[in-house]
Amino acid sequence: MPRLTIDGREIEARKGQTVMEAARDNGIFIPYFCWHPQLSVPGNCRICVVGVAEKDGGEWVEIACNMPVSEGMVVFTNSEKVKARRKATMQFITLNHPVDCGICDKAGECTLQDYHYEYNGERSVSIDAKQHATKHHDLSARIVLDNERCIQCTRCVRFTREISKSCGLGMQNRADHSLVRAVEDGSFEKDAYSDNVIDICPVGALLSRDFLHRARVWYLKPTPSVCPGCSRGCTVNLWHRRPEWRLRSPGMQAQNQGIDRVTPLENPAVNGPWICNKGRDLAKLLGRARAEVAMLKGRTAELQGAVAQARALIAGAKKPVAAVSSWASNEELAAFKAALGARFTAFVKADHAPEPGEVVEDDLLIRADKNPNTAGARALFGDAPPDIPKDADVVLVWGEGLDFGVIPAAAKIVYLNAWLQPENGHADVFIPLSVQTERDGTYTNFAGVTSAFSKCFPKAKGVADAEALFPLLAHGGRE
Amino acid sequence: MTGRRVIMDFEVTPTSHTLAEYRARGGYQTLEKALKLQPADITKEVTDSGLLGHGGAAFPVGRKWGVMKPIPGEIHYLCANADEGEPGTFKDRWILENAPHLLVESMLITSYALGVRHAFVYIRGEFDLPFRRIQGAIDEAYEAGLLGKPVLGSDFLLDIVVYRGAGSYVCGEASGLITSIEGRKPYPRNRPPRLTVRGLYQKPTVINNVESLANITGIIRMGAAEFRKIGTARSPGTQLISISGHIAKPGVYEVEYGYPWAKFLDEDCGGMLHGAKLKCVVPGGISTKVLTRAEIEPLTLCHESVNPAGSGIGSGGMIAIAEGTCMVRLLQVLLRFYHHESCGQCTPCREGMGWMHRIIDRIVDGKGVPEDIDRLYAISHANDGTTICGMGDAAGYATVGILNKYRDEFEHFIKTGRSKCDGRLECLA
Repeated sequence: MPRLTIDGREIEARKGQTVMEAARDNGIFIPYFCWHPQLSVPGNCRICVVGVAEKDGGEWVEIACNMPVSEGMVVFTNSEKVKARRKATMQFITLNHPVDCGICDKAGECTLQDYHYEYNGERSVSIDAKQHATKHHDLSARIVLDNERCIQCTRCVRFTREISKSCGLGMQNRADHSLVRAVEDGSFEKDAYSDNVIDICPVGALLSRDFLHRARVWYLKPTPSVCPGCSRGCTVNLWHRRPEWRLRSPGMQAQNQGIDRVTPLENPAVNGPWICNKGRDLAKLLGRARAEVAMLKGRTAELQGAVAQARALIAGAKKPVAAVSSWASNEELAAFKAALGARFTAFVKADHAPEPGEVVEDDLLIRADKNPNTAGARALFGDAPPDIPKDADVVLVWGEGLDFGVIPAAAKIVYLNAWLQPENGHADVFIPLSVQTERDGTYTNFAGVTSAFSKCFPKAKGVADAEALFPLLAHGGRE
Repeated sequence: MTGRRVIMDFEVTPTSHTLAEYRARGGYQTLEKALKLQPADITKEVTDSGLLGHGGAAFPVGRKWGVMKPIPGEIHYLCANADEGEPGTFKDRWILENAPHLLVESMLITSYALGVRHAFVYIRGEFDLPFRRIQGAIDEAYEAGLLGKPVLGSDFLLDIVVYRGAGSYVCGEASGLITSIEGRKPYPRNRPPRLTVRGLYQKPTVINNVESLANITGIIRMGAAEFRKIGTARSPGTQLISISGHIAKPGVYEVEYGYPWAKFLDEDCGGMLHGAKLKCVVPGGISTKVLTRAEIEPLTLCHESVNPAGSGIGSGGMIAIAEGTCMVRLLQVLLRFYHHESCGQCTPCREGMGWMHRIIDRIVDGKGVPEDIDRLYAISHANDGTTICGMGDAAGYATVGILNKYRDEFEHFIKTGRSKCDGRLECLA
């Protein structure tokens, strides 16, 4: 256990750690661009310089990210020499940077912006014209690259080599003509994790085509949530318009209620700092057309009337069967168990199956089970096969994914679902439900880790919350 | 003559590079002698000889070997750095063309000393005849049973692979070189770890310059004590100097360390071309600081004499520059080279080289401003010791060396938009 001193504070480091890691573990900040806790150490940005005291009283300046700790080391993160070095490095980095923050999506959460104010803060000392490079390069169908903003930290290149293993990116050319480019075989296009390079890019070089010029980040608010895309249950941040900054112009109302972008919420127990591209597209998954009106055999009805009709059907059933949703939160499942569990023969069904072209399963995050809460549902309702007995007379279907063809023709169908689907009209009673972004709850992933999601938007009019609905279906809310 | 010789000790004929003639000169007898010694004794002999690396940094070869403790059963690699890219340097080319078997024999001895089973010759892509000669010599050695099978009745065997680079300056940097052999873009690596701890394919690797390796045979043949008698106390042996520029007899010369510099230029190299006056000398590749005629007058060609004068023997790539040469344009040529060859990995060099190049281009265009000189100093300073490899430092040294001595020419160029030396270089007569 080497002991060293950083900025006068004596700390204990683990053997084999670098000064950067030891400092971070002890809450001492050293700036960095190219270093990333999950990636290898390239030591190319040179901003993490620190001073190390020499025996003769001098100071030796080196990069912290590649400096192993040693016993009795005395490190300065803010000496005059270090400050001068950092300033020179910042001048180099911003030399050919276009400083077009006004039109850059990264503005507001850009490391380069922050460090410029912290460590340089001056105008460019160069009087020569800035070097130009490709301003808009399609790295893939999802990602746009601005080479002028790129500071060549190679985080994205290392990500594709070390984390996603697609080896889809590389550096082309030399010196200040260097460009990040996708390899010609299209492996970056197929990389199921490619969008993570947007997050790890310390500047605004790599941009999401979906989010391009969509919103300034300070108008958005991150709400912690859980990705329902597969049973990994990655924790994510759903970014949506802050209520105080909502758009008022006509035709823009949908954007106030929509998810603008999805970023990973770092969680060492589940997904680390990464999520897959499907998770980035949650806005599409959760933004599908909603069912907002209750129906009785295809005719629209009042929600209360539909609930009463469903209650009557359930009350009169001889053999009621329930197909429980694996997209339901633990709270909803518990509510069903408490209110109707004794009445129904229940089994858990898969709401979603892998779609054509989708990565079914891999070694990093993606799981073959495309439902977020199968583990939570099975804990309550067992893992009986999804089989509807012939003599079932009332079938309660909760969520998507069940073909009505397997339901005996004589059985009455009570259908609870959030999305606009043809099946809705075929059910005897259809009750629309709220979606994940309209309520709080938890999911339990395949490994038994439970993660919570929070409400982003108010509940749509005319839909029911499953948690409140089940007691009503059981006994009309009368105790 | 330029003192005693170790490498260029035979007459070059159209066939002198062949195995038969090398054997006739006593070739591969030192290998026999070496195989009777213990590997550690060879390392000790090389350490005792005080041989300094000839690639430019003059790092003691014995000390580099000493870091790599041969572990039985562990894989070690040896690379001969024949990526001779330093402008003005073409001495390794002479060895590869005329004494390839000397290199092969030296690599055999070195590999035996360091427990190496596979060795590489990394040769720059532009070298054609040198490539054919070294590949031919290795083929001959395979046929003669010196490579690929146990040598001369011992249980030591070695394979040598010649790897052709694609002609990038930074591949001559040891870690860039091994990254290139691994088949990747030759980005130099951060130290630690040292390459002698984790180098090629993450295994301990010794990388020596071709000339450094070529000296090994001589050291083992004559013994460390005898070798030390050549040269000076702190620079034992000889240095191959490749001289070019405005000089009457350009070429490769083997110079015993301690030989008077002025005498070397005036007598051995036949003086300046067409009797021009010497303005300055680039001592050892353009990354060393230039020295004026007056400065080299008292100096001898050895590290202990040249280093205190603020420069270095470097890689022995000497360039004689005649009076009348425009130093602003000379620096433009150098900076264009450094800009072109910067690998673009780390910030100060990637941005700094291009910046300096743009500044000097602007000065030569007649649009310089007085602050440009200070800016060049500042960029050079910001590159000093801040980069992953030594290229940033080297460009800084070269720039500062020229600026320090010829600042007046830069000021004149900036003020008038014209060179101080316009049209006066007439040594082509």
